[in-house]
Formats: sequence, C-alpha cells, structure tokens
Amino acid sequence: MLSRNIRYACRRYSHAVTFRTTESSPTQQTDNQFGLFYTVNKDLCKQLYGHGGLPKSYMKQSKTFAETAIMVRRPALDIINCIKATDLNKPAIRYVLYGEDGTGKSMTIAHLLHYAFEEGYLIVHVPWVSDWLRRVLRHKEMANSLTREGLVDLPLDAAAWLLHFKTQNQHLLKSPEFIVSKEYVWSKREKTEAGAPLHELVELGIARVKYACDVVDAIVNEVKLLSNSKKCKTFVAVDGYNGFFNPLTRLKTPTKKKVAPEEVTLTTSILELTKNDWTNAVMVLSADSIANPDDDTKNYLPQHLLYRKGFDHLDPFVPVKVDRYTDREFLTCANYYRDRLWIRGPLDMETELKLTSACNPFKFMEQCAPL
Amino acid sequence: MSLFIKHYRPGSIFKKQILWRLNSSVAENHESEEEFRVLDILKKRDKQQKRVARRIDVPADRAEKMSTDQNWGNVWPGPRSFHPSTVPLPIRQGFVPKGQVPPGKKANAELMKIPNFLHLTPPVIKTQCEAIKKFCTEWPKLLNSEEAIEKHYPVEVITSDYCHASPTIRNPLARVVTLRVKLSTLNLDKHAKDKLLRLVGDHYDEKTDLITLTADRCPMRRQNLDYVNYLLTACYHEAWTVEDWEKEKMEADMEYYDWNNNQSKKNLVNWYHKCINKDIALSEDEYKSFDTSVIDHGEEYKLAVSSLFNDGEREETINNYDTAVRKLLGLPERKPIE
Amino acid sequence: MNLSKNIALICKLPSHLTKVRPAVIVQTRFYPRPTSFPDYFQNPVFRKEDQATLVESNELSRIATVPVKPPTVAETSSVYYDPLVNKVINHVMKMGNKKLARSLVEKAFENIKRTQIERYHLAKTPEEKAKIELNPRDILHKAVENSKPLLQLLPIKRGGITYQVPGPITEKRSLFMAIKWLLEATNDKERTVHFPEQFAWELLDAANNTGKVVKRKQDLHRLCEANRAYAHYRWQ
Repeated sequence: MLSRNIRYACRRYSHAVTFRTTESSPTQQTDNQFGLFYTVNKDLCKQLYGHGGLPKSYMKQSKTFAETAIMVRRPALDIINCIKATDLNKPAIRYVLYGEDGTGKSMTIAHLLHYAFEEGYLIVHVPWVSDWLRRVLRHKEMANSLTREGLVDLPLDAAAWLLHFKTQNQHLLKSPEFIVSKEYVWSKREKTEAGAPLHELVELGIARVKYACDVVDAIVNEVKLLSNSKKCKTFVAVDGYNGFFNPLTRLKTPTKKKVAPEEVTLTTSILELTKNDWTNAVMVLSADSIANPDDDTKNYLPQHLLYRKGFDHLDPFVPVKVDRYTDREFLTCANYYRDRLWIRGPLDMETELKLTSACNPFKFMEQCAPL
Repeated sequence: MSLFIKHYRPGSIFKKQILWRLNSSVAENHESEEEFRVLDILKKRDKQQKRVARRIDVPADRAEKMSTDQNWGNVWPGPRSFHPSTVPLPIRQGFVPKGQVPPGKKANAELMKIPNFLHLTPPVIKTQCEAIKKFCTEWPKLLNSEEAIEKHYPVEVITSDYCHASPTIRNPLARVVTLRVKLSTLNLDKHAKDKLLRLVGDHYDEKTDLITLTADRCPMRRQNLDYVNYLLTACYHEAWTVEDWEKEKMEADMEYYDWNNNQSKKNLVNWYHKCINKDIALSEDEYKSFDTSVIDHGEEYKLAVSSLFNDGEREETINNYDTAVRKLLGLPERKPIE
Repeated sequence: MNLSKNIALICKLPSHLTKVRPAVIVQTRFYPRPTSFPDYFQNPVFRKEDQATLVESNELSRIATVPVKPPTVAETSSVYYDPLVNKVINHVMKMGNKKLARSLVEKAFENIKRTQIERYHLAKTPEEKAKIELNPRDILHKAVENSKPLLQLLPIKRGGITYQVPGPITEKRSLFMAIKWLLEATNDKERTVHFPEQFAWELLDAANNTGKVVKRKQDLHRLCEANRAYAHYRWQ
C-alpha cells in the first residue's frame, strides 16, 4: 500500500507518467494496469469490431493514431472479476452498464468482447440497437414477417448482423460441435436438416436475405440449446439495450402506421436471448440515454431508461456504473494524446481541459480536437 | 414725547408702565450731583429695574423618590397613558437619523401614544391570579404530561386575540381559526389513511404527523370554528367510504410498490428454481405466497427492490440494489474507485 | 478565465482606492461591444501576462481608476487564446452565429491536424518528420502570413480616367485582405465538400506557399509591379 501511495504521489507531480501497458490480454489484466492503455491487434480489431462495436468517433481517432488502444478501467475489470468468479452452471447473469453520456459504456463493452474472445466464448454482439430501430436514412427496407403474424421484419439489418456474427465467431463455428438440433424448412426447396453445421445456417441467412430474421431466431434458439448442453459458453453483448423498450421507433409500415419495438422480430429474438432461463452464459447490456433521444431529462439511471418493462424483464441484474475519468485516468489519457501528437502545449492546459471537460472522456476528446 | 407701552407678557408679574419722557432726565441718582450729569437718552438704568419673573422651583420627579422595593401595583394600578415622571425607567423611544440619539422619556409623544402594560407586571398578575384562584377548579392531575394531554385532547384549536389600534377595535385577523390533529390519533386503516392523506394534501406535515386545517373565510370566529370542525368530520368520513370504482384498481395503479405482487418476485422464484434445477410452473397465487426466506439473501434483495421503486431511483438505492444482487448471485463485491 | 470587468484588478488594489468604486464590481452587464461604450472606456486587460506586467510597472493604479469595457466571451485568459483565431472566427461568422462559426473553424483545425499527423506517420526520416508542422494554429499563422499582400492598388482618378495605382498597405488592411481571400477561396467550393474540409485544405496550401490564395496575392504583386509607372500619381 505504501509503495502504491508513493507511486500515486509521484504520478500526481510528475507528468511523465506511463500510460501504456504491454499486457494486452484482458484475462491477465489486473488492478496494476488500472488506468493504462493497452493496444489491440489490428487483425483482431477487424475481426471483432469490423461491423460495429467501437464508436464512430473512436474509429476516426484510431485511424489518426494508427492504433487501437483501449484504457483499462474499473467497470471492465469489475465485470471480468465477476465473470471469473461465477458458476456457469447457474442461470445466466446480466450486467447492465449505465452512466452519463460519453463516459465509455461502448468502450467497456468492446474491452469485454476482447476478453470474451480470448476466453473462447461464443460471441453474440448487437453493436447498436438504434441502428435497427431508429436509423431510417431514406427508406428502411421492411417486410411483414412470414412466420409470425403482425410482426415486422428487417431483412437487411438481420443479414448484416449475421455477417457480423460470422466474422466474430469464425474460429468457433468451424468446430464440429456446433450443429443444428432440429430441421428448419424455409421453402419448398430450401431446408436445413438437423445435424447440419451452424455456419451453414448463418450463410443461408446472409445469402437469402428474405429469411434472415427467421435465421436469427433459429440461431438464438440453437445457441441457447448449445449453451444449456454445455457445448459452448456464450457471451451476449448488447449496446443500447433500452432501445428495445422505447414506446416507439422511427419505423413506419407502408401504411404509415408507427411500429413499436415489440412488433419487430429482431427485438423478440434478442429479448428471448437475454432471458435468464439458460445456463453457461454471460450477458453484458448497456442502458444509454442516447438510445432514448426523445427523453430530455438527463437521467442516466438504469431503471428510468429501461422503463418498467425492461426492468421487469432483466430483474435481477447487476448494475455497473461507468463513471468519468478519475484524476489518474485523466493524466494517462492526456499523456497518451501527447504521445500520439494529438495535443501539444504547456502543462497548464491539462488543468484547463480538466475543468472544461469535467473529466468526461468524450468531451475531453472533443475539446482536444481543435487544439 | 414718545410713548412706550409695555406689552403684557403672560405669566409675568409686570405692571403696565407708561413712561412719560421729559426733555431732561429726572435725576434719580442724587449722589452723583457733583459729577457731570450724563444725558440718559436710552434710559438703560430704568430698564434695569424691571421685575424679573420669579422662578418657581419644580419639585423633583416622583420617580427619583421611589424606592426599589416599593409595590409597583400601587403606583400604577390601572391602564394609564405613559407619565414620564412616574415611571422610573430610562426609556428612549423614537426614530432618528443616523448618529443621533433617540429622544428621552420626558415629553415623548410616541411613548404617550402607545399602549403600555405597566399595570400588568408579573407580581400584579400573580396577585390577580391568587385573587381569582378561589373561583377556579384544579388542573386535572392525570393531565400531567404532553402525551396525556394528546391522548385525551387530541384536537387543538388555535385562535388569536389582538389589540387593535385604529378607529375600530376589531382586528380582522382575530377571525382565523386553526385546527391541529395528529393523524395517529384518528385510528384509520391503510385504505382510509391513504384516502385521507390524498384529500388533505398539503395540509399534512410528515415530520410532525399533524393535519393543520386553517379557516378564515367567514367573518366571525365562531363561524370559522364550525367550518373547520365540519372539514375534519367530512374528511374523516369520506376516508372510510370505499367507492365502487376503487375495486378496479390494478397493480399498475398502485401508488407504492408491493414486491409480493410484482414481476420481480416471479423472476426471483424462477431463478431460484432454475438454480436448484426444478422446472415447475407456478400459478399467480403460488408466486405470491412463496416464502422467500428459503432463498439466501432473498430478504435483502426484496428490500432493495422495494426501496428502488418506493424511494425513487438514486445513486444510493441503486448501490443498495447492486450489493443485494451481488450477494444473491454470489458475486464478489464492488470495489470503491480510488 | 473570463472575469467580469475589474474583479481581477480590484483584488490587487490598495484599500484606499477600492473605496472609490463600490458599485461597479457588483453589477454584471451583458453588453455587446464595442458600440455600447463611450470612447473613453479602455479596453480590458485580461491576459495574465499583461496583468503581471502592469503590476510590475506600477501602471495598475493609473488604469484602475479609469472606466474599462468588459471583455467579450472570446477574450479569455486561457492558454489557448489566440487573437488571430478569434479574428478568423469573427470573419467566418454570419448573422451573429458565433457558435457555428467557432465550430466550423475548430473542425477545420481538427482536419488539419489529422492530415498532418497522417503525413507525419507516412514520413520516413526524422528530418522530414521535423519539417511537418502539427499545430493547426501555427499553420493558420503561417498561412495568413503567406497570403498577406505587401502593396495594394488604389483607384486614383486623374483627368477622367481611374488608374490603379500601387500604394502602401497598413498591417490591419493586409491582415484583413489575407483572411478575406482565404474565406473567399474556401467558399467557392463544391457543394458536396463541407466548409471545414475546404478551409483546412486552403490553409494547408497557403502555409505551403501554394494554392489559390497565394496565387492571388502574387497576381496582385505582379499587377502592382506592372503599374509602377503610375506610382507618382499618388502625390500629383
């Protein structure tokens, strides 16, 4: 403890603080690496986050800095500890990340994805829920669901997600254990037999966009069965989970009727996935006020964002708060930016930026941009 | 010849003096005959002979002669306007600009204007009370503490009397009647209490558990008193009546969160069953009657969820929920951020 | 930071002078400047260094008794204060929309930084790396300097004909022309390209002594050179 205090005191007064750690495997990261940046391998980055996972502004930064570096922070370490300590035979535990805008919930999820990948989990990752329910650029291609009455399909989004699923789990899907348990009939000529490998099902979904949503549903069921029968452990990550419980989406049927989230097949699939009636799984969800942009109260607490329905669905869950930078983290971040040539100038500016950005990671990044 | 008529000044003991002036001065000073006779035009020496008013000695104030152990009740027996030389106090009264000293008691109109209660000093009041005592009954012995008074006389009626200095002696504030009663003394059941609190609204203070009803809408005090009594009676009886439509109240309409009736309990029970590998589907009533003490840390979890809903969502309640859930699921505790 | 009027100065005054102006410190006035204040109001001293020099040279007491305008929101004692950047933002601003103007200029700086960092990482040798300027404000300064004209053409009428006569130019006018040309060059951009991007490119070109703005300056210089015969018309 004494040495840690001395280190801390030295760090306060010396600005030549180390900000990097060479420990790039999240499994091995402990409190010693608290507040330091570790770099993610480029290929791994592409595999895990190729179709979403890191925030757009962060992607721009990583392009400028020519590397992807994630800071090791308290919420991620906390969840990793909890995952290490859980008994996977019990029903799945759900962690809900919450915090103010821009404090690093998506980045924590990205960090945990890396950990899950290293530990050999089967990753089911929804990069951003609002992409499905709110991003209506010109016209969102929607279709009425074939298998379920009254529900709406999002075929292109489902196909994109299946591709994402495939890239993330390439190495696992090749193993022979991942087989389909029952027969799925898609049309007169197409069907998937029981015992076929899972990746065949995935590829069918990507190729035949019409059936993509149903394929997603099938995959959800299969994954649950596989986990229950202990053939694999699953890691579910959903960013912006509270988007599923918003009263309305931006989608409109061709008859100009507004669609509620429950009427979208993808929602039902993911809600089915996040129930705690299966074992051998870990679920990390985030409640983001950006996913509820109509709500003007700056309330970032999970019960408010999830609405009653979401809370009842998720209860009991472990709420994990993602907070702003501490002094130490702020220093390391500032030093990292200096190293990457992003900011320059006298050291007084760090105190200024600390005040103006209030140690909020996103605001700090924004304000360093023109400097 | 010039004529000087001296004006008669009130209070002085002058005689009218009409002086006739002759050309030459009448030599009144015969001793100075040898000396040169000075022409006395202005008659200064005559003027010196005027009579000076005899100053009456004002006797000392009565207040100076008062002893400190006198009976003040005898000096000032009844209400009387302020008389400075009778009151032995060095009082100063009056507004003055900054730096000046307020005027003293002598000839102070302000002190004389205001009502004084010098006839009601504590010893005088004591003698009066002693005199009245033989007409009074004793204070009941059992009403010797606040709790006893509250128990037997739970309703408190507060009115005020005023001394009004204006053309009318009636103060409009004297008609205000306040009625205070403690909610715990009313013996209401849960439904009645909730309904009464809704009816009474802001008039209820949670900290002191008092319902305070104030009436000032009628011109007379008695009328206001009647009104306030009516209000209390009406609210009380209204609280006990149960309307038909109240039976249609659903769980979602409830103003407080009862964990037993809610989804949270079902989730917990299902989770518990899953943990011990029992796959049974329970009915609604079975869920409600399930005893959560079987589950480790179930009680704590129940309290945490109830407080989250009832006390509102705050950092504190969320942290409680966090600790409770971690204990329930068997996870390590959250470490504080340094 | 941006304190109201004299608070910073008042704190350092000797006590017998603070009595002189009691009410002025307490009021905060939200005036736009400079039109609301009479001429005798002095400009505020809001930079820490300037205040320090005043204290050292004992000028503070003299200035403290004189009425002073309040500093605007942009006049801060921050480390990043740059009067040239403020001036550019003001020139970019339309209809008083300072917020938008500032965000555009800041995005332009961000773009400059990103391009330069990219170039830095692409450069192989340390000498090349040293040549690349990474600070966007320095690039702005350089760009403005490179596009400042040294002479201007004055229209002088002699005998019914208006001649374009080369003449001297003041610092202020020169600076104004530089900023104006930069913005004009940025504004005739393609529809799909956004202002910050185009502005970033223009600034980088100008700092490099290439590009439209520098060319315009050089054209002006050439025209002045060509018309030097008429120079004496200024004094005729």
